[in-house]
Amino acid sequence: MIKNYFKIAWRNLLKDKVNTSLNITGLSVACAVAILLGMAAMFQLSYDGFHERGESIYKMVRTEQTPKGPKAGTVHAAPLAPTLEAEMAGVKHISRVVQDGTLALYNEKEINMDIVWVDQDFFSMFSFPVLHGNEKEPLADLNDVVLTEEGAQKLFGSTDVVGKTFNLMVNGEEKPFTVSAIAKDIVPQSNLDFQIAARFESHREYNEAKEQWDRQYHEVFVELKQGVLASSFEQSSKSFVDLYYGEGIERLKRDGATADENGRFINLELVPLKDVHFASFKNGTVEVSRSRPYLIFGVALLILFIACINYINMSIAKTAKRLKEIGMRKTLGAQKKQLFFQFWSESLFVFIISISIGVVLSLVFLNDFKSMFNTQISSSMFWSPMFLVGLLLSILTITVVVGGYPALLMSRLGTIQSLKGKLESSGNNQVRNVLMVFQFSIAIIMIVGTLVLWSQIDYMRNKDLGFDKEQVVSFPLNGKRNSHDMVDLLRDELSGNAEIVSVSGSDSNLGLGKDGSRSSSGIGFEYKGRIVMTNFLIVDHEYVQTLGLDMVAGRNFESAADSLGVVINESMAKELGEQDPLTSQLEIEDGIFYPVLGVVKDYNFKDLDRAIAPMTFFMSRQQDLTYGFVKVAPTNMANSFVALENAWKKLEPNADFLGSFLDENIDRTFRQEKTTAKMISSGSLLAIVLSCMGLFAMSLLIVQQRTKEIGVRKVIGASVGSITYILTKDFLKLVLIAFIIASPLSWYILKEWLQNYTYRIDLSVWFFIGAGAIAVVIAMLTIGTRTIRAARANPVKSLRTE
Amino acid sequence: MLLQLRNIFKWVQQGGQRVFLLKDINLEVQEGEFISIMGPSGSGKSTLLNVIGMLDTFDEGEYDFLNESVHTLKEKYRSNLYKEYIGFVFQSYHLLDDLTVEENLEMPLLYKKIKGSERKALVADMLDRFNIVGKKDLFPAQLSGGQQQLVGVARALIANPKLILADEPTGNLNSQQSEEIMQLFKKLNEEEGVTIIQVTHSEKNAAYGSRIINLLDGRKI
Repeated sequence: MIKNYFKIAWRNLLKDKVNTSLNITGLSVACAVAILLGMAAMFQLSYDGFHERGESIYKMVRTEQTPKGPKAGTVHAAPLAPTLEAEMAGVKHISRVVQDGTLALYNEKEINMDIVWVDQDFFSMFSFPVLHGNEKEPLADLNDVVLTEEGAQKLFGSTDVVGKTFNLMVNGEEKPFTVSAIAKDIVPQSNLDFQIAARFESHREYNEAKEQWDRQYHEVFVELKQGVLASSFEQSSKSFVDLYYGEGIERLKRDGATADENGRFINLELVPLKDVHFASFKNGTVEVSRSRPYLIFGVALLILFIACINYINMSIAKTAKRLKEIGMRKTLGAQKKQLFFQFWSESLFVFIISISIGVVLSLVFLNDFKSMFNTQISSSMFWSPMFLVGLLLSILTITVVVGGYPALLMSRLGTIQSLKGKLESSGNNQVRNVLMVFQFSIAIIMIVGTLVLWSQIDYMRNKDLGFDKEQVVSFPLNGKRNSHDMVDLLRDELSGNAEIVSVSGSDSNLGLGKDGSRSSSGIGFEYKGRIVMTNFLIVDHEYVQTLGLDMVAGRNFESAADSLGVVINESMAKELGEQDPLTSQLEIEDGIFYPVLGVVKDYNFKDLDRAIAPMTFFMSRQQDLTYGFVKVAPTNMANSFVALENAWKKLEPNADFLGSFLDENIDRTFRQEKTTAKMISSGSLLAIVLSCMGLFAMSLLIVQQRTKEIGVRKVIGASVGSITYILTKDFLKLVLIAFIIASPLSWYILKEWLQNYTYRIDLSVWFFIGAGAIAVVIAMLTIGTRTIRAARANPVKSLRTE
Repeated sequence: MLLQLRNIFKWVQQGGQRVFLLKDINLEVQEGEFISIMGPSGSGKSTLLNVIGMLDTFDEGEYDFLNESVHTLKEKYRSNLYKEYIGFVFQSYHLLDDLTVEENLEMPLLYKKIKGSERKALVADMLDRFNIVGKKDLFPAQLSGGQQQLVGVARALIANPKLILADEPTGNLNSQQSEEIMQLFKKLNEEEGVTIIQVTHSEKNAAYGSRIINLLDGRKI
């Protein structure tokens, strides 16, 4: 019997090649894309999931109620962790963590490496397995370091290096460290990424900061003892906070901050490790949002859904052709159950073929997908049990529902009716119409999304950020020399070159450089009886002109000798609240007052999803610069870049030059938006293609079903145009309804999304009209070819087929 | 007695009025009869045949088939009953286009859940008997109308039914092909004792039968 079913199924598929190939192509492409997107989303969701004790590890966050609203920070003061461990019950392990880049030196080699500065507990908490060397206590000694295999290969050219010694640059000096263990390479879905792990106490700031409660520069991870709940830990930390942050709380009260609903000003909160990747602190509270991976999942499901709708619609439409068979089978004694199983197994057959092709396609295009959407998924993820179970479940659901529904309809038809070839189709058409409206709504929402996303990206790219991004190159000062000396040397070296306009440096990059690291620092100080918070940038005296910032008041730094004053931005001037900001004196260090020399116009030193905050430029040779900035003349920029690189090579022959123009850096900061936009736009492209495939197949079938009507109309004297209109009208109506449904929905979704950006485009009606027009035009083209051909056919022929 | 219809009524509602398709039909059929149902278009011939074949329902009356009262049976038992005892032959053959002659013949056996080896034997037997062994791998579209109807009759017979219902079996055939099919029916009826009820327009075909039932506007006359 089953053999017979498959025989019939196979011949049916072969007979209707256009329909079959449309169905199988649609389903397998949708399946492949859904698998890839599903894997990308799974990858995102699996961040930090590999730590065996992850369930009880938390990242510590401090929230504060400031006069300007709540603030949340993940950086802490050095004494916090040891004090917590000593005084709070429930702490099993605790580690301070600074993620950093450092210069490692071995023999002649100078390499920039990713390093974490951590406490001894680090390797007991996190699952970074030690391969050889001291497994129990890899960081027992202050000079011990753990290298990953990759790090060892890079530095030593071998992984058999336990016990060997090399140097790290700390505070401008080379300090020796001993390799105590080699750890496995860090997996891509880890937020803690390093090649070297060294003791926190060896970090350059530690000696100065170890006793200071107001100097916050590192993160804290804590593992709670079994059975200790995060909430109860947070609860019992209150008295601890009152004790150690008492001064801060007093100051907040004095400056007019309002307490939170529990009457607290400062809280320590714990964010579960698995949430860390999805946590944001932008609005001053801890917000965990997995919307991005879920969005990707959503797109995957929608695409599958569209393909499934196609299949359902085509199967139902095709019923008309098989009425005779259904009737005959019933006459021969087939029961509903048997007919249902027959038609369902036909669907199953198509699904098995499509899904197999889909799986193969997804594996074939895995690498292209990875590079296009820069995700780190691998085929091994595909074979993970969770993914396979999910895949099987969805396949099962799809086959049961998508194959089952048309099969159910077919098996229910009456014997005599189907033998006569009559089909009361009104009910089915209703279902079909609803499904098609749904399909096109999805497509339109995705088109609007694509248009808006790209416009926003375009807007961010072209927005005037207030500094000169086209002509300025930035590069990490990752060499052995003192950073201030290096900037001076470069300036001298390049002074003869007419195409180099100016050279400067600061301790933070703009945008995201090739080294991929970002940092920012801020300070707070007493000003006229209240606390003023500001971003804080160590600069060199040519910083303002190098970046092309505009001065709005006072003067710029003129030489290295101006280091006793500061330059602030407009927001900071507003924060100070003075009539003339140039009269202010800022107590940046205890007892030392720095006069404000000048005010620069506000510029976007952070990403465009944030408003411009107060900023203070400070010149100090005591604190390192980390990035150099060189402004070049607009002509021959490539040559100037090479000249700069050569100068670098001459001064720092062993260190890599990782320079890039600031506009590239800015571009890099919305890599995530771009990836999302790429995914959504490919998704919407696919959605529209699939929807049109469905539409095309439907128009084919409808035209076939209405051949007689078309013939009769023509004989009576209808024109080609009027017949095309009649045939097209019904479908266009559906697209229009879809447009009406999709517009407000997409408006709402995108409005919410744009809220993430302080600087954003307006949601003009044209996005919606454009998307609607695209959908209508594509739909018209799809149906048009078939309907016009049908309308032009000789009526004698079409009538004869009856 | 093979079957008995008592006071069968069938109607449809049209514009608030009952239009009768069958009106008070009483009929007894003995095993081995060859009955022809005649009447003008729309007189209810096919409807009556479908009711007898249990493909269609009726609104009033009683129907006994082999002492089972059909009107009280559930669909499942009804379909068991007719697939066991009744074979159908249609004017437009209703062979399945996607199946070969051999596979078309096999299909009723599949629904009767007959084992593979036995199926093969029965199909081979039937092909042999109707002299269509050479055509077993052809598809219906590759056969002439007469040949298709031959396959249709073979398919109706393969499950060894007690009753064959034929709805204008020769309606689409030329006179020579009709003659052949009617001869075949006659032979089946006389030599194998198969009961046959046919609907026909032609006096000549009706003459093959042993009894003629005339219908007009759903009534027996």
